[in-house]
Amino acid sequence: MNIFLLFGMGLFALVFLCLYRAVFGPGVLNRIAAISAIGTKTLVILLLMGFIYNRVEMFVDISMVYALLNFIGTITAAKYLEMKGEL
Amino acid sequence: MISISDDIITRTVSRVLVPFIQIYALYVIMHGHHSPGGGFQGGVILGASFILYLITHGLEDAKERMSELKAGLLSSFGLLIYSGIGLLCIIKGSNYLDYGGLSTLLNVIPAQARSLGILGIEIGVGIAVMAVMFSVFFDISTGGILPEDEEDLEVNNR
Repeated sequence: MNIFLLFGMGLFALVFLCLYRAVFGPGVLNRIAAISAIGTKTLVILLLMGFIYNRVEMFVDISMVYALLNFIGTITAAKYLEMKGEL
Repeated sequence: MISISDDIITRTVSRVLVPFIQIYALYVIMHGHHSPGGGFQGGVILGASFILYLITHGLEDAKERMSELKAGLLSSFGLLIYSGIGLLCIIKGSNYLDYGGLSTLLNVIPAQARSLGILGIEIGVGIAVMAVMFSVFFDISTGGILPEDEEDLEVNNR
């Protein structure tokens, strides 16, 4: 079995553990951190898919955009909470 | 209203990161033929860089870099590039957005004219999408009411 496929499936299982924290997690901050962690794992899964299909140079571009939008989304959620005064 | 962030880490990281995000957006726009991306995706990344600057540096600073007036003008300008290239093809005697007709105008072979034409279209789409993305975020975050408008409203209500 392809080792990249194996690692990808392992990360895919870990995403669901983060999803549990995002759905049931107490408080908003746990949810934001869980969503951010899911985004990071998705980024690595995208790169592993690039290795499986032998087209890494394409998937690097996509994963960089994913990381960027994940970063901006987390900052925006934190800023929203700061403006609402819930922290 | 979004004010400047108190945290020095957020401000510094975003200030360092914004130029690199914009360079990457230009790469996505220009390299759209060979890799994933194109005008729309590059425009979204370019708009995201301005949104990041607005979030971390506040409305007052961001308005000097990109105001609502500039966003409106740029979105119209991008659409003008798109439709202008399309109409230029009609004037040269081919269909709308059929870039092969531009070969006599650009003085190159039709295949090269198609490549240059689609690049021009992507630049136009990128500018329009960037301006519209920023404009949508600007309007939602301010609720459509700017601080100077609030002062005008108070004066009128007296």
